[in-house]
Amino acid sequence: MVQKVLEVEELKVGIKDEDGGKIAIVNGINFHLHKGETLGIVGESGCGKSMTSLSLMGLLPAGVERHGGDIRLGNLNFNSFNKKDWRQIRGKKIAMIFQEPMSSLNPVYTVGAQINEMILNHERVSKKEARNRALEMLKLVGIPRPEQVLNEYPHQLSGGMRQRVMIAIALSCNPEVLIADEPTTALDVTIQAQILELMKKIQDQLHMSIVLITHDLGVVAEMCDRVIVMYAGEIVEESLVVDLFDQPSHPYTKGLLASLPDIQEQKEYLSSISGVVPAPGKMPVGCRFAPRCSFAHERCKEVPPLFEMENGSRVKCWLYEDGETEVAAK
Amino acid sequence: MIAYIIRRLLHTILVVFAISLIIFFSVRLTGDPVSVMFQAGEPTKEAIAEVRKNLGLDEPLYVQYGIFLKGLITFDFGESFRSGMPVMDLIKEKLGATLALAFGGMAVAIMIAFPVGIVSAVKRGTGVDFFGRIFSLIGISFPNFWLGIMLILIFAVNLKWLPSSGFESFKHLILPSITLGMILSGILARLVRSSMLEVMNQQYISTAKSKGISDFAVIIKHAFRNALLPTVTFLGLQFGALLGGTVIVEQIFSWPGIGRLIIDAINQRDYPVIQGGVIFLAVIMVAVNLVIDLSYTLIDPRIKIGGSRS
Ligand SMILES: Nc1ncnc2c1ncn2[C@@H]1O[C@H](COP(=O)(O)OP(=O)(O)O)[C@@H](O)[C@H]1O
Ligand SMILES: [Mg+2]
Repeated sequence: MVQKVLEVEELKVGIKDEDGGKIAIVNGINFHLHKGETLGIVGESGCGKSMTSLSLMGLLPAGVERHGGDIRLGNLNFNSFNKKDWRQIRGKKIAMIFQEPMSSLNPVYTVGAQINEMILNHERVSKKEARNRALEMLKLVGIPRPEQVLNEYPHQLSGGMRQRVMIAIALSCNPEVLIADEPTTALDVTIQAQILELMKKIQDQLHMSIVLITHDLGVVAEMCDRVIVMYAGEIVEESLVVDLFDQPSHPYTKGLLASLPDIQEQKEYLSSISGVVPAPGKMPVGCRFAPRCSFAHERCKEVPPLFEMENGSRVKCWLYEDGETEVAAK
Repeated sequence: MIAYIIRRLLHTILVVFAISLIIFFSVRLTGDPVSVMFQAGEPTKEAIAEVRKNLGLDEPLYVQYGIFLKGLITFDFGESFRSGMPVMDLIKEKLGATLALAFGGMAVAIMIAFPVGIVSAVKRGTGVDFFGRIFSLIGISFPNFWLGIMLILIFAVNLKWLPSSGFESFKHLILPSITLGMILSGILARLVRSSMLEVMNQQYISTAKSKGISDFAVIIKHAFRNALLPTVTFLGLQFGALLGGTVIVEQIFSWPGIGRLIIDAINQRDYPVIQGGVIFLAVIMVAVNLVIDLSYTLIDPRIKIGGSRS
């Protein structure tokens, strides 16, 4: 059996509304991550992908809170974590890279200083050893003239190079899990391909597990083993990447696939699905996707459970109540 | 870099020249200095003419201005009409007190405003932030003469802990520095808070947090360091203002500074002292600004001196 490095159960993330009540942003999701695996999380913008990933780091923004569920990393349960415990796993066990390479490095410190900071924070090494490690990391992520780059400032590097530096920082303490939240969205296509290539290569070398968040199914096809499709704070489909592209089940997934070129252009809406993601607190009753779904029927006024399919996929849609029924009503 | 400094020096000379023109002619609008010199009795025409001749006021204006300019080059501002002492000596005598007060006020402002501004930003929207903002508001809206007088009443008159006037020791510096610093700290705390809030939203702060470093390191090393740039700019401008604009505080505390020297000189129409004092302050302000601009490169590596970007 493949080892699970990360398990998330019934994760709930929400914000407080004016009356002190809670508005769910992420509504009780379950997933796990195998060792060495790349798990994709896809969905339109606003589906709760970033909030999910930030709750794995304990770095939800002010005003947003996790109020329920378990997150386990190996035998660590994050629920019991105090501030210090969090600090010990951040960067050391779980590392993260962000969407905006242009702004994710601190402009006033050198590249070397920013890598060293991570290493010196987690490892008992001398400054010199840290520097050597930083140099190694820059080589690993394929940065030309690494010795010089160590002493350069972020503004002296291109976006692609900065994302490589971010990867170098994230991986410098050899984390078990790397969370990459839209790591290539801000980069142009050739650079994007290079960065993905690099992540794959390093993953093989270091045997890491990756959670890759993206709204780009092309990236998913390229990188991931398994994929979770999120809609309005819920998981609507979970399957192997091959199955997802072969036999997408959930109408939302089908819509995403049908509008592939559109989401790559980061449009606000999907051409094949009308409407937009409902805002937190304005969720429809029953199936949250129903108002935008062309297969919606009476049953959809109730919340569907995740139905398990024959190939092991799970789908949150009433169409699959009786097992794997290929949607006839097309 | 060298070219930049040279350019700035030329710039400075131009500014000083312009100020010299303005001050020279505007001073002469305040009235005839000779008429206020004779305190008792009606002076004779001859006596007045004699005095005018001695002071060089009988020369045509452009000649007087020429002499003034010539003196400027060697930092010789002439002699006081009143005391006959060289103006430069008078300034030197007061410079220490003025600088001490400006630095003292600045230090008090920084010591109060940096922590208040930072904590306010970090604890945004909480009670602490509320108090921080109230503090800023009070600092900004308090008239400083009132604060100065209150401090004198409490600490000098009642408690007798600290002296209320003059500048003989470090102790003398405390009350005037607080008076001056409080006002500045209100504005400064606001600036620090808003710069911090802006910086804390940046992605690199999330990156810093994701490294598992302490909150303190995130706030000070990553956020505050970036929030420093607008703050330093402001402080530089304020420092200039503190040098010349401490008149009220100098009056309250009988502070022997350049501000008071100039005020007294204006009352007495002591042209050389007014001219010399104002020019001197202007030069210091320009110099401070140059130092501030140069310090940007240390604070923010993206800024290249001379405007060339790599
Ligand atoms: N700081 C915040 N405060 C309140 N709500 C937020 C905040 N950040 C995001 N949200 C809300 O949470 C929902 C999910 O956002 P997010 O996880 O960023 O989506 P995604 O990453 O899938 O695009 C959105 O509806 C968004 O409006
Ligand atoms: Mg996002």
